[in-house]
Amino acid sequence: MRNTHLFALVVLMLFAAASCEQPAPEQLPIMGHHRYTETDTVYHTVQYFEFYDQDSSLVTPATFEGKVFVADFFFTSCTSICPIMKSQMARVYTAFEDNAEVAFLSHSIDPEYDDVARLNKYAGRLGVDSDRWHFVTGDKDAIYDHANQSYMVFAAENELAQDGIEHSGAFMLVDKDLRIRGAYSGTDSTDVDRLIREIPILLKEYKDEK
Amino acid sequence: MKSKYLLLLPALVVALWACDPTPRQFENAASAEMDHDTKMKYAQYMQAGQKIYNQYCANCHMGQGEGLGQLYPPLAGSDYLLEQKEASLCGILNGQQGEITVNGIVYDQPMPAQSQLTALELAEVYTYVSNSWGNAAGLTLVTEVEKVLRDCEK
Repeated sequence: MRNTHLFALVVLMLFAAASCEQPAPEQLPIMGHHRYTETDTVYHTVQYFEFYDQDSSLVTPATFEGKVFVADFFFTSCTSICPIMKSQMARVYTAFEDNAEVAFLSHSIDPEYDDVARLNKYAGRLGVDSDRWHFVTGDKDAIYDHANQSYMVFAAENELAQDGIEHSGAFMLVDKDLRIRGAYSGTDSTDVDRLIREIPILLKEYKDEK
Repeated sequence: MKSKYLLLLPALVVALWACDPTPRQFENAASAEMDHDTKMKYAQYMQAGQKIYNQYCANCHMGQGEGLGQLYPPLAGSDYLLEQKEASLCGILNGQQGEITVNGIVYDQPMPAQSQLTALELAEVYTYVSNSWGNAAGLTLVTEVEKVLRDCEK
């Protein structure tokens, strides 16, 4: 009798432990505000942009044609959350290094200081030699507007914040149609693990369509 | 069945209490040589130092002191940290600018000053980083740090 109870308890605990692991979703959500027309649903997409990357190449949405990409906002002299974000992003980059369908886009929110030369040095020192991770600079207001409107990621100058800029550490996953399909905390390795699990789910969606 | 588990309980309690004052994760070649009183002090420094490290240093030098690429130098196995103790202590307090060579690699990212740290806190965090992740430099006392700080170049 007692043994049966113990057995039941163990089984129950196993269930409880197993339920902590969230099952991977079959399809990722489409984030942002949706508009409905008479015939269609119009999803929020990343707006057109023009920035320059660490190789002085012009980066626009066309750069990411046929690719899903992970976007974030940072600056090279940031000593608060950026180094952790970059170490986590590097982990994602390494996980998909051989996959030409996955790209990365890191926007500087201190673009006057972070010119092309500085971004080039930063990327090199981080160990990124591929053209699939773009570190971009451009017009400051354009980048701030882009963060807040396209990605719904908060970024603003703030004298009170460490290093003078207050910003979110989110990683945003963007699909091949420029829709936002996931938001992850770039400072939380567990959440970044989720991003690594979810990128293949997003890629599979496009394979299934074919 | 049940009595078997009950026997494990006192064994566990004994195992926990038998420990010497250094929590196992802080033990290294240097702490093995310490007498009991030094070990007590070492354990306190390590515990406090770990908190300070996680709050002010781990963002760039990372959780295992491994650094980040060639942007932020490692502390684990760092010749600079272990051999240039005075420069390291002054650097933590006053920040650092310009190039610095660690294990033969040149790094060039500024390190912000942590001028809010007291001499004791500097001793604690230095003891922590110089005795973690394979480092085993032993205890750095606050009295030694106070002396070093008098000669820091501002």
